[in-house]
Amino acid sequence: MIRFFLLQNRQGKTRLSKWYTPPTVANNIGTTPELEKVRMEAEVHRLVTARDKKYTNFIEYNNYKLIYRRYAGLFFTIAVDVNDNELSYLETIHLFVELLDSYFNNVCELDIVFHFNKVYSILDEFMLAGEIEETSKREILDRVKLLDKME
Amino acid sequence: MATGGLNLSSEFFQLLKAIGESKSKQEEDRIIAKEVARLKQKMESPPSNQTGPQAAFTNPKKLAKEFLVRLLYVSMLGHDNSWGLIRAVEMAASSSLFHKRTGYLVCGACLPPDHEFRFMLVNQMQRDLSSPNVLECSGGVLACTSIITSDMVPAVAGEVTKLLSHDSATIRKKAILCLQRFYQLAPEVVTQEEMKKHVEKALCDKDPAVMGSTLNVIESLSLENKALFKHIVPSLVAILKQIGDRRLPAEYDYHRLPAPWMQMKLIRILGILGQADIVASQGMYEILNEAMKKADSGINAGYAVVYECVKTIVSIYPNAALLDAAAEAISRFIQSRSNNLKYLGVTGLAMIVESHPKYAAQHQLAVMDCLEDPDETLQVKTLDLLYRMTNPVNVEFISEKLVHFLSQTPDLFLKQVLTDRVCKIAERYAPNNAWYCKTITQLLRVSGDLVQQEVAQNLMSLLAEGTGDDDEESDMLLRQTAVEMMVKQLFSEHAGALPKILLETMAWCLGEYGYLSAETSLDMLLEQLCELAETRSLPITTRKCLVTAVMKLVAQAGTCPPAAAAVIDEYTRSKDMDLQARCLEFQTILTHCPQLLPEIFPVDASAEDVQVDPNLSFLDGYVQQCLHQGAQPYDASIYDDDDDDDDGYGYGGASQPEPSFKMTPYEKPQTPAQAMMAMAGAGQLRSAAQSISLPPGSGGGSMISQPKADTTPQLSLNTRNVANVWGKGGLSQAPQPASTQTPTTTHIPTPAPAPSWGASKTSVSTPKAPELPQKTAEQLERERQAAALFGGIVPGAAPVPSAMSLPVPAPVPATPAAPPPPAPSAPEVDLLDLSIWDTPAPAPGPVVDSFDVAPASLAIVETVSDTEDEPVSVPAPAPIPAATMDDPFASMMGGLQDEPLESFPAASSKFEYNGVPMAPLQITTAQFGQQWGNCAATTPTSVQTTMNLTALLAKLEEVGAHPVEAIAASNEGIAAGMIGGAQLVLIHGRVTGSSVEMTIKSTDTGIATSLALFLSSAMR
Repeated sequence: MIRFFLLQNRQGKTRLSKWYTPPTVANNIGTTPELEKVRMEAEVHRLVTARDKKYTNFIEYNNYKLIYRRYAGLFFTIAVDVNDNELSYLETIHLFVELLDSYFNNVCELDIVFHFNKVYSILDEFMLAGEIEETSKREILDRVKLLDKME
Repeated sequence: MATGGLNLSSEFFQLLKAIGESKSKQEEDRIIAKEVARLKQKMESPPSNQTGPQAAFTNPKKLAKEFLVRLLYVSMLGHDNSWGLIRAVEMAASSSLFHKRTGYLVCGACLPPDHEFRFMLVNQMQRDLSSPNVLECSGGVLACTSIITSDMVPAVAGEVTKLLSHDSATIRKKAILCLQRFYQLAPEVVTQEEMKKHVEKALCDKDPAVMGSTLNVIESLSLENKALFKHIVPSLVAILKQIGDRRLPAEYDYHRLPAPWMQMKLIRILGILGQADIVASQGMYEILNEAMKKADSGINAGYAVVYECVKTIVSIYPNAALLDAAAEAISRFIQSRSNNLKYLGVTGLAMIVESHPKYAAQHQLAVMDCLEDPDETLQVKTLDLLYRMTNPVNVEFISEKLVHFLSQTPDLFLKQVLTDRVCKIAERYAPNNAWYCKTITQLLRVSGDLVQQEVAQNLMSLLAEGTGDDDEESDMLLRQTAVEMMVKQLFSEHAGALPKILLETMAWCLGEYGYLSAETSLDMLLEQLCELAETRSLPITTRKCLVTAVMKLVAQAGTCPPAAAAVIDEYTRSKDMDLQARCLEFQTILTHCPQLLPEIFPVDASAEDVQVDPNLSFLDGYVQQCLHQGAQPYDASIYDDDDDDDDGYGYGGASQPEPSFKMTPYEKPQTPAQAMMAMAGAGQLRSAAQSISLPPGSGGGSMISQPKADTTPQLSLNTRNVANVWGKGGLSQAPQPASTQTPTTTHIPTPAPAPSWGASKTSVSTPKAPELPQKTAEQLERERQAAALFGGIVPGAAPVPSAMSLPVPAPVPATPAAPPPPAPSAPEVDLLDLSIWDTPAPAPGPVVDSFDVAPASLAIVETVSDTEDEPVSVPAPAPIPAATMDDPFASMMGGLQDEPLESFPAASSKFEYNGVPMAPLQITTAQFGQQWGNCAATTPTSVQTTMNLTALLAKLEEVGAHPVEAIAASNEGIAAGMIGGAQLVLIHGRVTGSSVEMTIKSTDTGIATSLALFLSSAMR
């Protein structure tokens, strides 16, 4: 199951962050789930940006496994359970990027910066409650566009 | 760019731009802080009241929505936005669908899990869930998955369940996932049976998307309960077959692969359901084979499916053909150029080798490549694999690689894991002892102090004891191999920078067996060790080990080269009292009786049992001689009140800042013999605890309940006081007991297993212990039994001779039924030459003083934290602790001493220590007082006897001490003696009529302890 999905740029600015389960906070000592999210996002950024291109796209991190993929200056990171299929989630990221690409018509970071709430909508049609809900690109894009019309 | 242009207010646009251009986190924070202030102000007033260009730009509602988006943005950059979340809750109730979704989005993303606003949304979600509008309805489901908490599940579960039969497939596929989330949150509301029913229906949905999302639910439920879906295996196989046959709409293809995510889920579920189920497994062999072949299309998604197949094939009931196919796939993964695939290959191999090791063989080299890859994820995975595939044949190869890797990785955590694993496989699969020695030595070098102490100890035990098959020749060969390896380490560059555990092991090894080296002469070894021993950067414990090695080698060589003499001389001025004492002794022996050296440092005798002469009969002649020469017999009676003074300072320190002497004699104590004097000062306390204890059953509970004071924080103060007592006019003026505790004082030893100083609180005196003496005989018996029982288990157990008179430290002083302390350790094997550390007195021959080493277990307990903080002015309390605590090898003793001591009768009238008799020390009372504070080792003892003061002093004289003074007024006497020309012994005794309370002080703990024991048995 997917624990969280992160989109960060190279400088560490979060472009999208979706948590399907709140982070575990140890005994509530001086921290809250919100602070913990911020901390973990920073840590994930540090981890993924430090890695060479030739390296695997997987990092074992706490009790998660991080699957990340870099597109230009953007890092897409999915945290999943340790036993999940790494390669499958690597392709999941790619499918998501394909979705963005179709929706924004050659997506670039600025699209995501200025329309990050749209990106959330697309993600919500793709994944739900930590599982992949739909893998048909057409279906997802149709739904998002339908929502756009209501605006 | 985006569909429909930017559609942002210029304010938001500027914000995004500014953030994008900000150069630092600080700048970003400033911008966001401004934005927060602006948002707060604007969101407080309803949007319709906005004026200015922003209001003109867009309609109020749109602006309000944008505010929410900006709120989300603020939160994404890690800033608090809780102040504005109420607007999001409001907006979730908006009639506009788009606004509603934005509201839900912000709420789902930003509300902390237990935020009360979540409850405010329940009504709205209920309304949306039952809305006829599909978009509203799906928005409601979406919100449910991120906003509902376990408390709220009952409120919406019914609505969501209804949606499972909604007309729209979009709703149905979301509803089943949403319900699964509810099940995870509140399994008592949405039960497993319910879920099962829903899932079975949803799996047969005519829309493939609903089936696809249902697979997630099946997977997660099957993980919890395999039996739940056993019966649908054929259906799953059928679905997988249809997907393979491209019966699904083409829109599910991904890179021309039919619905890879669904395939993977299906295969994964099969893997779970087929575990240990031959029938279910047989039903899936064919489709797995087929799916694997079809997926092998050379793209990542295909590999992901193949990998999923591999995992399933390994987990289900094995099928040879499939396993071969899986191994083949793994093989290609491992040999791939992509690290991702290599990673999968290594992971797959790790899964398959556990049950089918034959597949590992061909990949060792490829695996080693992975191990050398700079990518840590891959390395760690590979190390895991290696560890799993180790066997007696490949252990050399694998451990070599592991050690090599260890020498390079900077990752401490990884290093620790790896070090432990190398130790494990080396111990489990070592082909021969020489290899084991070599591997452990290397490991000590690369991992240093990450290696567990036991490992070094095991290595040394192996060398000392040999293989155990009585093949002395091969044992010697092994030792020689080890020595040559250690010599190599010693002569390596920067030997001083080697890990301390290696240096210490090396010091022991060379000290014991240095003469075996064929390549290096003892002189060269000595020279190098001396140089190393002077390396200031090394911790004192390590230097101690090195100095000991030097001493042993000097003994072996028969001559003391100038370098060694210089080192030893230098350390006679060491701040470390233990080291100082050893060096001084060594010097003395070297100058006075060098012929003793080979006996003191016997060659290759570390595993030999040691004979102890508990009667110290070897002292008899000396004592007699001294007595003839006019030496006064030992008189213990003088001592007592002095000790009482200490008590006053030690225990009253906290409550009575002004120490004063008690001028009147004490009433007669009710409690005789076993009662111990409480003592002041950390060192005294410690040494007391080391050696003396109450018999189990002396009412420790009540004693503990009377804590007088905690002596812990007063170390140096107490000691000073102690000295002052005797200084100007302590004893001579008012040598009277000052402590109210004295007469009946009972010293409760630290229970052996109790750690640190907290334990010393129990060493509080108490006036209760009347029944002690009666119990002694019975206790003795029990102690003996326990000694036999626990022999070899507990290192450095209680001093044996305590059996004669003093109860041995009981594990739990308060429990009468507590078993007597563990094995007395008289035949302490001097494997590591602890005796040298512990026994400043010259130890003749292989007779290792059990009294010193014995209290080790207690010493450990007491000195955990303060060995280092010990002020220099408080001397020897450190020795034993230092040796036992810091000497990493101390606990080795545990494995070696397996012979319980017999208890021995006390017969001799002269006290001898390690064969050296006590000589009377002619000093005055004032000198006695001065020395009192200098003697760190203190042992109180109490003997039940009707002896009067004169008899006491006579007795002390007989024992070999010089009776310094008898103070009839307070019934106290003091006596002094000397052992081996270097060790001071001071005895203070107080006669009560029914007992004699003595405090024995010495510069050496062992002497104090053994003399106390000796006296108490001699006087009884």
